[in-house]
Amino acid sequence: MLSPSAGSTASGVIERSEALTNLMVLDTPEEQSFDDLVFVAAKACGVPVALITLLDTDRQWFKAKFGLEARETEIEHSICQLEIDTGDLLEIVDLTIDARTRRNPLVTGDNHFRTYAGAPLVLRSGAIVGRLCVIDTAPRPAGLSDVERSMLKALARLASENLELRRIAMASERQTELQTALVTLGEVIRSSSNTEEMMAAAAAVVGRTLATDRAGFGIVDHNVETIDVETDWTAPGITSIAGRHRLDEFGSLHKSLVNGVPIVVRDALTDERELVNRDGAVRIGIRAVVDMPVRDQGRTIAVFFVHCGNPRLWPTEEIAFLRSAADRLEAGVARHRTEQRQHIINGEIAHRLKNTLSMVQAIASQTLKTVTDRNSVYAFERRLMALSAAHDSLLQTSWAQADLRTVAETVTESVGFSERVKLVGVPVALGPSAALSFSLILHELLTNACKYGALSNEVGTVSVTWRVEANNDGGFLKVEWREQGGPPVAMPTRKGFGSKLISIGLVGAGGVDLRFDSAGLAADLHASMRHLGQA
Amino acid sequence: MEHVREVDRPVVLVVEDEPLIRLFALEMIEDAGFEVLEAANASAALMTLEERCDIRVVFTDVDMPGSMDGIMLAIRIRSRWPDVQIIITSGRPWPEEAVVPADIPFFSKPYRQDRVLDTVRKMAA
Repeated sequence: MLSPSAGSTASGVIERSEALTNLMVLDTPEEQSFDDLVFVAAKACGVPVALITLLDTDRQWFKAKFGLEARETEIEHSICQLEIDTGDLLEIVDLTIDARTRRNPLVTGDNHFRTYAGAPLVLRSGAIVGRLCVIDTAPRPAGLSDVERSMLKALARLASENLELRRIAMASERQTELQTALVTLGEVIRSSSNTEEMMAAAAAVVGRTLATDRAGFGIVDHNVETIDVETDWTAPGITSIAGRHRLDEFGSLHKSLVNGVPIVVRDALTDERELVNRDGAVRIGIRAVVDMPVRDQGRTIAVFFVHCGNPRLWPTEEIAFLRSAADRLEAGVARHRTEQRQHIINGEIAHRLKNTLSMVQAIASQTLKTVTDRNSVYAFERRLMALSAAHDSLLQTSWAQADLRTVAETVTESVGFSERVKLVGVPVALGPSAALSFSLILHELLTNACKYGALSNEVGTVSVTWRVEANNDGGFLKVEWREQGGPPVAMPTRKGFGSKLISIGLVGAGGVDLRFDSAGLAADLHASMRHLGQA
Repeated sequence: MEHVREVDRPVVLVVEDEPLIRLFALEMIEDAGFEVLEAANASAALMTLEERCDIRVVFTDVDMPGSMDGIMLAIRIRSRWPDVQIIITSGRPWPEEAVVPADIPFFSKPYRQDRVLDTVRKMAA
């Protein structure tokens, strides 16, 4: 047991350091479950001191301690590290005699350590991260009894299990936080009105969630040689790296990014792969980095980067979070681009359409020059205007739908009787076809009222009211046209184009009631909301 | 081109690149009792304005080939010939952040002839 190579092996140190970093336990506050274990260990073995020791590279740190003040000691003074890689229980019955411990200040000093026994803390992976040990301050020539040894080993297994469970619980808690952040990110992406705003807001969410120093999104060029950072988020006091950069200024990022492999660096200054070069890292003040490639059709088109001024571990759940964030952001960028393009196309189509309508107006004006019935010519022109006005209303929502009131106001305004036509109703969205039909019908009703009805004198008025009534098919819209104060009206003898147009209805399937009441014309239009939205 | 001066009839310059629409506008305004001049783009319009000092109203489209559009033309006319009245028409919506003075009337295409003519009459009066 007292082999000359008493310390731990180099490979053991690396494995242990890795395992400890993953446990995320070093320098965390005391926890009852570990405190209980050292208390039980001390009482079970009848000793004044018991410790859960974790072996960091340059120190031993106590996750729990009973009967000792110190929180950590230098690794050179660690008794627990002796023979650690054997994975066996270590027992030294007289520390004052053992060559490895007799000059240890814990033995020679006030702590007065005399007898030691420590069982290894072995993780499921096989990594040994420290010991659960018991120490007697009085000599104990017979050492521990078999039962005491068994109890010590059992408690060490419990402590190891506790370390693992603690890590899993933390990861799951973190997972919830990260999920919440993804939801926030989704909202940010949805509510932003342009790409720059979206990228800035998303970078801020990611930067804060991961408590990093800098986060941002950069578009890479076709050859993945340069990166354009439009805007990045930085913690207070950290400089932005917005602008265009050559990727090779930062290191050998090209190959990984081209292949869509995320670059994860805990510490650029010690990383052996040297993916991020040290000069580049120092220049922009970073130690830890994640560069998450964003792919589109098998090609890397952008990088979501996260920088940290201090070395840090990037747990798998954080990498997964960055992956999701990058994906969402890319989808958001693509959506904005499409919308922007669509907006331009819509504007262009609307412009051309209106120019075409102007041409129709010009051609008609030339063609109908000799027509003596000028009223027909004017009627044609006005209908053309009504159609054009409906297109204007639709354009405001990129041809998805138009608000009924907006359409009604535009048409009324174009006829010129806004002050005598009262519009009352709830907001109702009309589909493109329904919006066009409604504007043409309303136009006919208005021109008819101008010629024969309530608007043909100085005092008559029109009210247009609408409401949505419930039914089991998503409700239906009812529009009521009422004329008051006009001259007496009578059923027309001939059915002109105007009345035919009206009778087609809002969704091309009728649903129109015309009544020539003594008070004035009354028209009821109805259509199911389902048809209106789609039509 | 020789212009016949007619003292009674106010002069309106129509600036429009689309020949058919220009013809339509010219006839509409001429039939309303005005003398009309035409230009197919902004620079031709400026040349006409240089030649003729009796133009009262310029009725211009916005989108036209050449380095200057109707809005830039309006701004030039405002600074150079402050007495000349301007009316703008376009198939595009009126720009939200219009750089042109707010008192310039705007007609969306296709426009109602009577409304445009009312405005022309008011301005030429």
